[in-house]
Formats: sequence, structure tokens, C-alpha cells
Amino acid sequence: SYFRLFVGAIIRTTCYHPNHKTSSFQSTIQPKMSCTLPLGFSNCNGHIQYSFHNMACGTGAASFDEFGNSKYQNRRTMSSSDRAMMNAFREITNMADRINLPRNIVDRTNNLFKQVYEQKSLKGRSNDAIASACLYIACRQEGVPRTFKEICAVSRISKKEIGRCFKLILKALETSVDLITTGDFMSRFCSNLGLPKQVQMAATHIARKAVELDLVPGRSPISVAAAAIYMASQASAEKRTQKEIGDIAGVADVTIRQSYRLIYPRAPDLFPADFKFDTPVDKLPQL
Amino acid sequence: MDQNNSLPPYAQGLASPQGAMTPGIPIFSPMMPYGTGLTPQPVQSSNSLSILEEQQRQQQQAAQQSTSQQATQGTSSQTSNSLSILEEQQRQQQQAAQQSTSQQATQGTSSQTPQLFHSQTLTTAPLPGTTPLYPSPMTPMTPITPATPASESSGIVPQLQNIVSTVNLGCKLDLKTIALRARNAEYNPKRFAAVIMRIREPRTTALIFSSGKMVCTGAKSEEQSRLAARKYARVVQKLGFPAKFLDFKIQNMVGSCDVKFPIRLEGLVLTHQQFSSYEPELFPGLIYRMIKPRIVLLIFVSGKVVLTGAKVRAEIYEAFENIYPILKGFRKTT
Repeated sequence: SYFRLFVGAIIRTTCYHPNHKTSSFQSTIQPKMSCTLPLGFSNCNGHIQYSFHNMACGTGAASFDEFGNSKYQNRRTMSSSDRAMMNAFREITNMADRINLPRNIVDRTNNLFKQVYEQKSLKGRSNDAIASACLYIACRQEGVPRTFKEICAVSRISKKEIGRCFKLILKALETSVDLITTGDFMSRFCSNLGLPKQVQMAATHIARKAVELDLVPGRSPISVAAAAIYMASQASAEKRTQKEIGDIAGVADVTIRQSYRLIYPRAPDLFPADFKFDTPVDKLPQL
Repeated sequence: MDQNNSLPPYAQGLASPQGAMTPGIPIFSPMMPYGTGLTPQPVQSSNSLSILEEQQRQQQQAAQQSTSQQATQGTSSQTSNSLSILEEQQRQQQQAAQQSTSQQATQGTSSQTPQLFHSQTLTTAPLPGTTPLYPSPMTPMTPITPATPASESSGIVPQLQNIVSTVNLGCKLDLKTIALRARNAEYNPKRFAAVIMRIREPRTTALIFSSGKMVCTGAKSEEQSRLAARKYARVVQKLGFPAKFLDFKIQNMVGSCDVKFPIRLEGLVLTHQQFSSYEPELFPGLIYRMIKPRIVLLIFVSGKVVLTGAKVRAEIYEAFENIYPILKGFRKTT
């Protein structure tokens, strides 16, 4: 069940939390107080959700005197023990908002961050770097991976540091993630480029076939996906330049050129059978 | 000569090479224990460069060697702190000559009776262009088991590419005077607090710190690293500092080899998840962290393998022998 926690207005209550053992806590209406309940509570989906905009301070009904000056000085040390964690949650929400990530990914990120933070094995690392890496892992675990460059774009941390933290977190939490494939990125890249569904399906087919036939050994799946999108778009009415695709995918256009050169010789085999060619296969650009 | 009878059967028929510094007495010991690596000669601390004395010293060492057959495990017994380069080179040549005779011996036998050796045996054929200063430490000189091995060896020997070693010169140094007076030295205290010195033979680079400690990188073999470190210490000594040669230790060894077939890294990362890390976005190779021995391997799609993190040569060889059957299982079949 979903319920909100009103701190400062409750004298005594019993909190029932589906995921944690029953606990009771007592709070007094004082600006400085401690809460023994874990910060998270579950919503309808069973995901632990952290909502802290309603626990920042009490109702404040009695904290001003008759002239409007505040009676009590310290309003800020409410959650001093985990202020860094709350900061990080705020940062995670901000990052996720910039790329419109759904709530389940944000929740998963928060969970990962909490686990890493409590483990303290990565204590020396910048919290923002850990948060960015957790965001990356959460996207991967939800089956919609984002590239490191996409996470870099919404974070102030360098790709190198996010990569380092990513590997450290996987080791600390003893989890692993699935390998990325070309198909994971097709829908996002193609819709960002404004390509119709036919072209997207063709590009997906081309990339999958190219990897199956081992035409591009050792190439990053992102580069192969970008080259496949280029080939599919050039064969259709909606042509895109290498530069445009490179901008969207975060790949250099020389990289797209390299991967394109590898798949170009087998182009007729890579297109799906029912594809409507605007430019025939032999007229595809040869770079 | 009596010595022919005392030779083990597979070393008979080998005359001692002409012009070698070794006398006719066989230095090669048939009871060299498995996996100890080179059994280094104890170096006398004499500083004189007389050739006659040198030969006498080697004969003494040969006699000692043949009596003391069980060598200590891997620890260097060199106690000499003198920086005589000529001594160092003579010692290494002597060891090289010994090892080349022992290499020939093992080569002869390994081609005849491979099944008598332990299943982890490597062929000891030295690759062209490398002087085998060390015997392959995986070859026992006596057959361990007469049974057939479970799997054949790979036949590929990783080549050492880089050795990093440290040594303590034992006295505080004034980096400014070293940088001003030595050749091929650069010193930029704002960028890095050490003198960077290079020598051409062996081609190495040294970082010399003001505490007297020195790091030597770039050598291709353990002996070359030691010789280079001695040369640097000699340079520092000639500049007027009371340099010694204390605690020479090899810190890291890097080797590389080629398995000659393409590898399916995706399959490898699926089955060996707890050891492998494969992120094409971050690095094109698979990073395999082997637990025993503790070696990190970089495995690439082309079949090239880089091994690093070893303190002794045997670890590199052992790690490669461990990974080779795994890689064979993930060979690309197209």
C-alpha cells in the first residue's frame, strides 16, 4: 500500500512496511529529531520509492514567534547522517529528468546507490560519479541501456571516471550486467533522427545480420548500429548524413565510415527481404 | 673423461661449446626442482676484473652447483652490492651458456619423449632473437609421471615485453646535480619529482628519486633489467654519490602472445562472468582477472593475448597454459 510519511505532525504511530519488519517509532514536534524508519517505502509496483520532499522539515506551526522571526535556529540537521545520500538522490533525479527516464529506472538507481553507499567500499569516490554509474547500471538492468556518452551528457563526471566507478560497483555489489547489443539502441537513435519505422526495422535487421556474419569483429555495437542506420537511411527516402548520425549516437563520423566500409560489400544480404528501396543497393554511397 | 659418465643420459653426446666460459664440468643439474625458475649463481663480491680470477671463481661455483643440487626457492642469492658492470655481464653470460646447454638438453628429450613429462610442460624452444637466459621453469628435468597427459601443451610461449623493477641506492640524492651532469636525464620538478634517465643498451628508462630509490622500466628480460639497474646505479655512483645496490626486486612483468585464431569474447564473458569484464564501449578487449596465479589477461578478438601483473616468469607461463584450453573452446568457427 502506498502512504506518505508526515514528519513532525505525528506523535506516535505504527508503520507497516511490506518489505521491512514492523516497526514503531515515536516522534516529537521538535525541529531536531531522528527517524528510525528506513527512508524508503514501497509503491503499488513494489518498487522502493524515495520521496523526501515531504520530510524536509516539520509543519513549522510553532517555530515562529509573534513578530515573524524564527524561534529556533537549527532547521537543517534533520538527516545529517544521510544528507549526502539525499543529495545524491536529488542529483540522480535531476540527471534522469534531463533524459526523460521513467520512474522505475530512477528507483532502481536509488536502490543501487543506497546499497553502494551503505557498503562503504567506494567511500572515497565522488558521490556524483557513483550516482552516474548507478544510473548507467540501472538503465542496463532495465533492458534499455544508455551509452556512457549519453550519461556523460547529463552528468558533470567524465566518461573515464564513470567507467571506473561502473566496474567498481559491479565488483562491490557482486552483480553483472548483460552485454549490449546493437538492437538496444535502434529505437532511440532512429526516433531521434526522425526515421520511419520501416527504416528502423531495416537498420535493426542489417546490424543483427552484420554481427551474425561476423563482418565487424571487435567493433563496438554502437558503431555497428550507427553504420547500419546510415546504410538503411541511405537506401530509403529519408537520408541522413554520417555527421548527423554521429551526433546522435555519440560516434565519430570516421568510425561510422570504418564500420560502413566493413558491411558495404555484403549489403544485398543484410537488408530484410521486404524492404522498399528508394535508392537501389548498387547505388548506395561507397566511402 | 669421467664427466661423460656422470652426465645424465640425455646430456651425453653434447660437447661443451667451444669458447664458452664454462669449463668441461657440466653445470647443468638433473635435479633442478620444478618451477623454481633460474637458480642463480651466488656472486662473489670481488671487484677485481682479472679474467683468471673470474674463471677460477666460475669453476668454484660449478663445483658448488653440482654438490648443492636443491636450490632455494626462487629467491635471488646475489648478495653483491658492487656495481661492476663487467662482473654482471660475465655472470649473465656464464648463466646464459649454462642455460643454452640445458636448453639443448631439454629440447633433445622433449622431442623424443613428450609423454613422460608433466602435462603442463612447455616446449623449451627459444624463439628466434631471444637469448634464453632462463630455462623454461615449467620443465622438470626428470620425468614426473609416466602416464599420458590429459591435454597437450599449447606450444606457444608468451614473449616478455616489459619488466618493471625497483632498487634502493641507499643514499639520498641531489636530483639537480644528477640532471645537470648526467647525459640523457630530464628533471622537471614542477611536473614530477624524479629524474628520468634513459640508457640505450639495454633500452630502458629509470625514474630516480631523491630518497635514493629507483624504478627501472622497459627491459625485456629479468637479467637485462638487473643489468640496466646496475648501469644506472653506476652512473649515479660516478657522479659522486655513495650508491649501493640494495633490494633489487622485480615488481611487474608483461608478456604477450598470439593464439592464432579469432575468439568469441561474448561467449567467454557469459561463461566466466566472475573473472571477465568485457565492455566494448570502454575497451575493445576482454579483461580476464585470473585468481591463481594472480594475473590479468587482456584477450582480444584477433587472438592476441597480453598477460600482466606477474612477479616471476613462471606465473606468465602458467597463466597462459591455464587460459589456452578455455580460449580454444571459444574459437570462432566461421
